[in-house]
Formats: sequence, structure tokens, C-alpha cells
Amino acid sequence: MLKPQPAKPSKKKKDLVVRLTNARGFEFGRLPQDVASWVSKLLDLDIVDFRGSTVVDCPTTLHSGADLIISLSIYIKASAFRTPSTSAEDQKERVMFNEGQETGEEQILRERKQALLKMFKVLELKPRKGSDFTRRPHGKLDQQDLEMLSQRQVASGGSKPKRQTEIVGDGEEVEVDEEGEELSDNELDLIYKRAQQNDRQLGQMDPADTFTLDLRGYQKQALNWMHSIEIGAVSAREETSMHPLWKEYLFPLEPNNGVIDLTADDRAFYFNEYSGELSLQFPKAERKCRGGILAYVVGMGKTIMLSALIQTARGPEDPAPNGDTNTSKKRQLKLNSAFRSVKRDADVLPKRGPAATLIVAPTSLLMQWCSELERSSKPGTMKVLVWHSQNRTDLDVALSGDNPVDVVITSYGTLVSEHSKMERSTSPVFEIEWLRVVLDEAHHCKSRQSKTAKAVYALRARRRWAVTGTPIVNRLEDLYSHLKFLDFTPWSNYTFFRSFVSLPFLARDPKAVEVVQVILESVLLRREKNMLDTDGKKIVELPPKEVIVENLEFSPLERKIYDSLYTDAKKNFDKLNERGLVSRNYTHILAMLMRLRRAVLHPNLVLSGADEGIKASSAGAVDVNALIKQFDEGKDTPGDNKVFAEGVLANLEGEEEQECPICFDVMDTPTIVPICMHQSCKDCIVAFIETCREKGEDGRCPTCSRGPIKESDLIEVVRTKAETDSVESQASRPTVTLRRNDFRSSTKLEALLRDLQRLRGENPSFRAVVFSQFTSFLDLIQVALERESLTWYRFDGTMDVKKRNDSVVGFKADSQGPKVLIVSLKAGGVGLNLTNANHVFMMDCWWNAATENQAIDRVHRIGQERPVYVKHFIVSDTIEGRILQIQKRKTAIVKEAFRGKGEGDPESVENLKIMFGDI
Amino acid sequence: MSSLPKRIIKETERLVVDPAPGITALPHDDNLRYFDVTIQGPDGSPFANGVFRLELFLPEEYPMAPPKVRFLTKIYHPNIDKLGRICLDILKDKWSPALQIRTVLLSIQALLSSPNPDDPLATDVAKHYKENEKDAQRVSREWTEKYAS
Repeated sequence: MLKPQPAKPSKKKKDLVVRLTNARGFEFGRLPQDVASWVSKLLDLDIVDFRGSTVVDCPTTLHSGADLIISLSIYIKASAFRTPSTSAEDQKERVMFNEGQETGEEQILRERKQALLKMFKVLELKPRKGSDFTRRPHGKLDQQDLEMLSQRQVASGGSKPKRQTEIVGDGEEVEVDEEGEELSDNELDLIYKRAQQNDRQLGQMDPADTFTLDLRGYQKQALNWMHSIEIGAVSAREETSMHPLWKEYLFPLEPNNGVIDLTADDRAFYFNEYSGELSLQFPKAERKCRGGILAYVVGMGKTIMLSALIQTARGPEDPAPNGDTNTSKKRQLKLNSAFRSVKRDADVLPKRGPAATLIVAPTSLLMQWCSELERSSKPGTMKVLVWHSQNRTDLDVALSGDNPVDVVITSYGTLVSEHSKMERSTSPVFEIEWLRVVLDEAHHCKSRQSKTAKAVYALRARRRWAVTGTPIVNRLEDLYSHLKFLDFTPWSNYTFFRSFVSLPFLARDPKAVEVVQVILESVLLRREKNMLDTDGKKIVELPPKEVIVENLEFSPLERKIYDSLYTDAKKNFDKLNERGLVSRNYTHILAMLMRLRRAVLHPNLVLSGADEGIKASSAGAVDVNALIKQFDEGKDTPGDNKVFAEGVLANLEGEEEQECPICFDVMDTPTIVPICMHQSCKDCIVAFIETCREKGEDGRCPTCSRGPIKESDLIEVVRTKAETDSVESQASRPTVTLRRNDFRSSTKLEALLRDLQRLRGENPSFRAVVFSQFTSFLDLIQVALERESLTWYRFDGTMDVKKRNDSVVGFKADSQGPKVLIVSLKAGGVGLNLTNANHVFMMDCWWNAATENQAIDRVHRIGQERPVYVKHFIVSDTIEGRILQIQKRKTAIVKEAFRGKGEGDPESVENLKIMFGDI
Repeated sequence: MSSLPKRIIKETERLVVDPAPGITALPHDDNLRYFDVTIQGPDGSPFANGVFRLELFLPEEYPMAPPKVRFLTKIYHPNIDKLGRICLDILKDKWSPALQIRTVLLSIQALLSSPNPDDPLATDVAKHYKENEKDAQRVSREWTEKYAS
């Protein structure tokens, strides 16, 4: 028997020799070069051992240079299997500080990895189980999914990275490298699929008894999940996920006397294809951070769930838990104030571990958090401090003492400004070690280079939660920022994330999505409203929502204004398009589109200098007696008409059903011509005056042809039903007020007012929310509501926190009369809870329907008990129809296409062509 | 064509239920904006005893724009030309949406009673009326007998 012993291969590069010796140490052959290259590596690194080989074939006459075929048995040595660790943990610091450079150790690992891979290939060993590749039916990508991934259109890939500005945090603008590709909805679903698959079976947990509200089943599950993670229970989900970088292999069965025992148990081992590590133990997808991403879609009560968590798992924790020292040390080093931190640790913290929770939320939601926390806890059991703008009290004092604050709420903006102070001095918010930090609407810091994100990373906390309905807004990279905040190793290392997620994804490697799936499975809990609970019921039963898109027709004048604007814009666009300059004049075209969109709402929004008339009188009330008096004085009035005029005015209160001389219908908003007191519908007479003007004539009374009259001379007769809350006037005699018609309305405004009037008739204490994205239009709506004597509140981005809060509180307060809240889509589209209303009016359309839906969900969300009616006003044959068309194009790119500055990509140009009717 | 405005429907109903004396107006079945009209010549005028046929059309803009009216029956009248076109201020610049089919037709009837040769449309007829009103009225009567009875 020959017993080959590996001889020392020579160390010369590219000249590796593996000698084969027989039992007596006599060299009888060498391995061929290509085999020797990897065998030598494995021998050097003491990974494998060759035992017992037999010569299979050998030429009859031996001479030097002859080929021998031998069979070798390869054994992996026990020493090759170390306990599996997330290899990245060791690599981490190195990679951080020495990016791009391969260290000696790394080189060895790389070579080891390559050699092992080569060996597996030669031995035809294939992974039985990657963390992802197997396990159909759940979590596996099926063929269809893979096809979808590979067919992803090269929309932005291939071209140079685009830069664009995004708004993050509290209005912070960041330039973003748009390197990552945007994801379509289908892809997103796929990514979340895995994280959601077992969640129906998740255990439930009851909140602490200080919690005053009832939690729904899925909320209890979330509580259980979050709590288990916080207290460090292995994982609330059954821990079956393999670490994403590992693959499972089976030891080949050893032939025993030439017979393979097929009944023998499979023995598995695990190999990390990225680091080259081997292990005999199942490498779990590990979690080292205590926290995660709570990614419930809007309207499912994220605030309440966190309130329950804060109350259920309240500190103080042990002053110095072993597991976390690592994290806190690392953070201290990052602070320039290492000295002070140490002192604090020594003096303050040991007495009492961190017990307070810091909640970071967009400015608009601070007060809502505050009130929700108070609403959901027994009085006195939770002390909440809003730490924002002027109210930045001494946090140290607030958090210590006999009655310390349990929860501190601050805004992203505050955090950023505090963080910028850190250069010069210290800021308590970054020095305190929080028990828990919660980022609400965490997608505000999705861009890792933004100041907001950097500030957030600098917070010190034991437990970290990112709360957002959209953890991945449109790129996989968005996820990174959350992982970074969570300190979710190894993925919180950007290089690592990039090499295993971003780059493979760009290269259309489906593995990237699988890796993300596994990351999410252990760190993210997501629920959508239509998911089913354990009993197969929908987890959220919301009252029905009825969406009506109402197509309106322009008045002739509006049509004229709009058409001329449109023609100009189209000419302009066509010219640019002919010369191929569309993408370069992108901003200019966007401005034109903007103008068109405003023209649809109200001509005043595009006519310069037209707004003087509006602000003049918002109420425009006219006193009946003053009018009569004017007639008594006989000013401008022929005598014979006087009797008639007085009769009209005296009868105003009595007569109701009068026929309009123009449309022959019962007068809708009767309007008086002041010089002769003839009446007709407002619309009719306004239209007539308009036709007169078009013909170059003065307006005149249609009945008696007296003139000239202008629109603003007209006096409207407004009849309102006396409110029933005044008991004395129970005979609901209509009260009549007169007002001057000096407010120019528009088709959309009229439609809104008409609906609101109808609502008032049906339910005198209705609550409605009106959304528009143009604050200038909100101004007009405001005036119109004022004229209708409807109580209104306003919420937009120009208002400070207090004012916004006052608006919301005022809107929610109980009262008999109707109330309308007018909200700018951007400021109020997220977070707000307006379930006291059940009517929503969308005055314009946004480029993507998701934003609109999110706005509607302010009203249609948990807590809503009545059916929700949504009215969407669209003017026919305008750009709005085209926007709807674009909304229907199911590409995610649309989301961004109209937001960015600079050059438009082909997709955006396509969209522009739709805008101008070229497709 | 867009649906018929309520106003037109109401006007039509009222013309049928409560017709103006000496005037009929019936819409066509296939086009409710198109009316067959007859006007009796007013007593005491050269057009007495005649029944004149007219056509009346309500344009899309009605009532913001006046109806279009034309005599189909030949008539010898200084304000009505050979093609039956009528010179009447309310059918032009003095139109007001408060006017109606009924008032328009009554005005036309009145125009038959009081021709206005100073604002002529048929210049030769107007000249005839101005120079020799008696003779002109005789021709009008002849025409009425010849064409409108």
C-alpha cells in the first residue's frame, strides 16, 4: 500500500509542488499544477488531511513524466471547524479603517475560501442548504420571482449615478447618490414576504396594567415581539434562520469496503462562502442589537404599540449589563467628550440605570405623541417631556430626582441642531444613555449621509426601535440606515452591506434579495392591513371607505385661461423636444407643469396681481338695512323702481322658492343686482356678465337691461338654517344674510363648497378634512369657508408646532357646529390622526397615489368607527387626467421622477410626454 | 349633443300648455332645439288673417345667446328680407337671457304690427314703405293673401 504523505510544497509563487510519497517516504509523484494550487493551500492552512489512497491506473512501464491516476481520500480536520462567529465582527473595524486595503489576514481568509470552494467543486459537493436557497415553499424565491428580478429594467443602472436632492428629517435637504436602483412594489412585496410569513403564529402579550387602552391581537403580537427582543430572549420568532452568509453541506458518505451505506444519517457541516469559515454547528442568523424595525403600515396604531412597550418594559435596567458594554464603549469613543461621559458613568448612572425613553419624531407629530402617550396610560403613571425648540430644559435634571421623566419626545430638527453643537460643546441628549430610543417615521433618516441620520447614529441607547411604514422607500440602500441605527451587525457596516446587498442587487444577483429577506426576518416586523390573524380574520377591521372621483367641468372663462396656458406650455415643450433639450430643461418644464396644475385649481393662482381682490373682504357681509336705506335716499335709483326694490328686500326672509329668470330653476344662491334688485342664480348671472364682457359690452341686468354691473357688485343672498342648539328658535326659520360677491370662486372651490353645504344639511356637526398640496390654494379655501361661515382650522408646514397643535386640538374638540380642517398634503400627509372626521376631500392629485392614500389614511385608520367618504375632484380634459394616467403606470420610478432637480431620466421624459399628450 | 338644459324643457312645456295667442311653437322630435313656429298676422295690420311659418333654433349657448329665427313664409316687410331674416334688436345685441322663446315670438308678432322702415333690412321694401306707405301696405296684403293663407 502506498501511503502518500504530503510533502512540503515549495513556497515559491506559482510554483507549488505537492509531492506524493509512499509509506517509506519515497517520492513517487506530484500532483498536477492546477490541483496542487488549491491542495497546497489547504494543507498549509491545516484544513485537510489526505489518507489512504490507491493507485487506480498506472502505465505498465514507468518512466519519469508518466501520468499516474490515483484516488485520494480527503478529510477535513477537526481543527478547521471553529465555533462559528459572525466573521464580520472581526473584520469590522479593519474594514472600517482600512477600506479597500486587504490585510494579510484577509488575504489568507480569501485564499482559504477559494481553495475550499475549489475543493468542493472538484468533489462535486454542493450546498444542500443555503440560508436561503432551500426551504420552499416559504421564503424561497420561486421561478417567477427570479424572472421578475432578472427582468428588472435597466432604468438607472448603467448610467452614471444621479445626484438628487431629497428632503429628509425636518426639512433637511440632502444630495443623494442615487446609486441603488429603485424597487418596484412587487419587488418590495417579495422582500417583505419572508419577514411576514410566520407572523400569524407569533405569541401575544398583554401590556402592563398602567396601559389603559385595549390592544388588538396583532398589536399584542407586536408587543410580545418587541418585548422579547428587548429582554434579550433569543428571538420571538422561532430561531430557524440560517445566517445569510452560510451554506449547509453534507459530508459525503464514506465507502466502507467499497459499499456505501445509504441508510446512514446525513451529517452536515456549514461553510461560509464569503469568509471561508467552516463550522459543524448551525450558524444562526444572529441578533446582537436589542431593537428592530416596526414596519406596520400607516394607521395600525404604531404609537399605541410603542406606548404599550414603554409601559410594559420600563426600566431601570441594570447599570452595567455585560452584553452592552461593548456598544456603549464604542459610542463613547466617538464622542469628543469621552472624559465627561466616563465621569457621568461613574457618578450618575451606577445609581440608576437608564430608564427613560427618547422618542424622535417629525416636528408635526410631537404633540400627537405626547397626547397619545398620556391617553394610553393611567394618569400619573407616565411622565412625558417634549424637548423641542424653546422648551429645551435641563435634561439631566428632568431625568433624575424623585419623579423622573419617563419619556422625552424630541424632533429630528432638534436632534440635528444639538448634534451640530457637539463639535464645540456637549449636548445632554447625546450623552445620556437612554434605555430606549424610538425613531418615529424613521424613513426620515433613510439617507445615511444626511445630518439627520448622523445625529441619530450618535445617540446612545440600550434598545433601539425604528418605526416606519416604509422601511424601504424605493431603494434597498434605504434599509441600511435603519440597520446602522440599530447597530445590527454585521449589516450596520456600510462596506459589508454594500458588498453583500447593494452590489449584488445591482448585478441582478437574486441572492441580494435573499440576504435582505433574512436580515429582515430577524429585525423587522411588518403588518399590512389586509393580513389575516390566526383565526383567518383580517387583523384590522376598518369601516368601509368610499372613494369617489368627481369629474368637474371648467367654467368657460377658466377653460380659456387654462387652454391658453396649456397651449403655451405644449408649444414650449414641443420645441424643446424637437431639439432634444427636454432633459436639460427639466426644471423649467416642471415649473410649467406646476403652473398648469395650479390653473386647474383656481385661475387666481396663476394670474399675477389677481389676488388683491380676494384679500379685501373675506366675509363680505352686507347689511340689509343699509341697502334699504340706500334706496330710501334714492341714490342712483329711478323712483318707480323703489317700491319693487323695497318689496324684494322685505321679502327676502319669507320667500324661498323663486325661479331664476335665466335657468328657470329654483334659484341656487340667489343673487341680487343692486341697482334694480332683480334676482337670479349666481352662476347664471355671472355667466351672463361674462358673455357680455366677451362681446366687449358692459354687464347689465338680464331682466331689465340696466347697467353697467360688475360681478363684484352683485349681492348674494345666503340662507342658513338656524342652528338647532339654540332652543328658543326651534322653528328653524332660515336666517338671511347678504354678502357682496367680491370673491372669485373656481370650479373646484364651488364643488367643495357645494359638498360641504350638502354635508351641513345632512349632519349639522360634520367633520371634514380637505387636502391640497398648494398652500396658496389653502388660502383661497380658507376665505371661501369663511364666507360660508364654516368653522375651519388649518395645518401646514409654515406653521410652528404650537400653532399646528392648536389647529388639531381645535378641530378635534367637541362642538355642535361643523368643522373643516384644511391640510397641506406635504405637512399633514403623515402621522396625523384625524379619525374624528369621516369626510375627506382631495382637491388635487399628487404624482403617486401612495402619497394620496397615506393622506386619506389620516382619517381611515384605527379608531375610525364610521364609514369614510373620500371625494377626489378632477377637472376634465386637463393635466389632472394625465396625472392619473401616470399614477397608473406601475413603475416605482414615477415616485421620484417629478421630484428631483437636474436632468430627467428617460422614464421621466416619457412621463412628460404623457403630460403633453404625445403618447 | 349634450343633454337638453332644464330651461329649454320648461319653456317647451309652457309653450304647449299655455300658448301665446296667435302663436304656436312645436319642437321637432329628432331635434328638440329646433321649433316649427306659426304666427298669425296681427289684426289691423296688412298681415292680418295670414298665418306665417317660421323656424326657430336654440343654439348651444342658449340662453346666453339669442335663438335664431327666420321666416319661412314669404313676407313683404321692411325689417324682413327675402330670405326671411329678421331685423330685431333683441335677436341681436339687446338679447338677454331673461328673454324666452315666447317673448321673442311676441316681439316678432309686434314687429308685424309696427314695421320700422328707418332700420331696414329689405331696403327696397323699406323705400317703398317710406315713399308710399299705402301702396306698400297693399303689396304686403297681397303677399299675405298669396303666400300666407
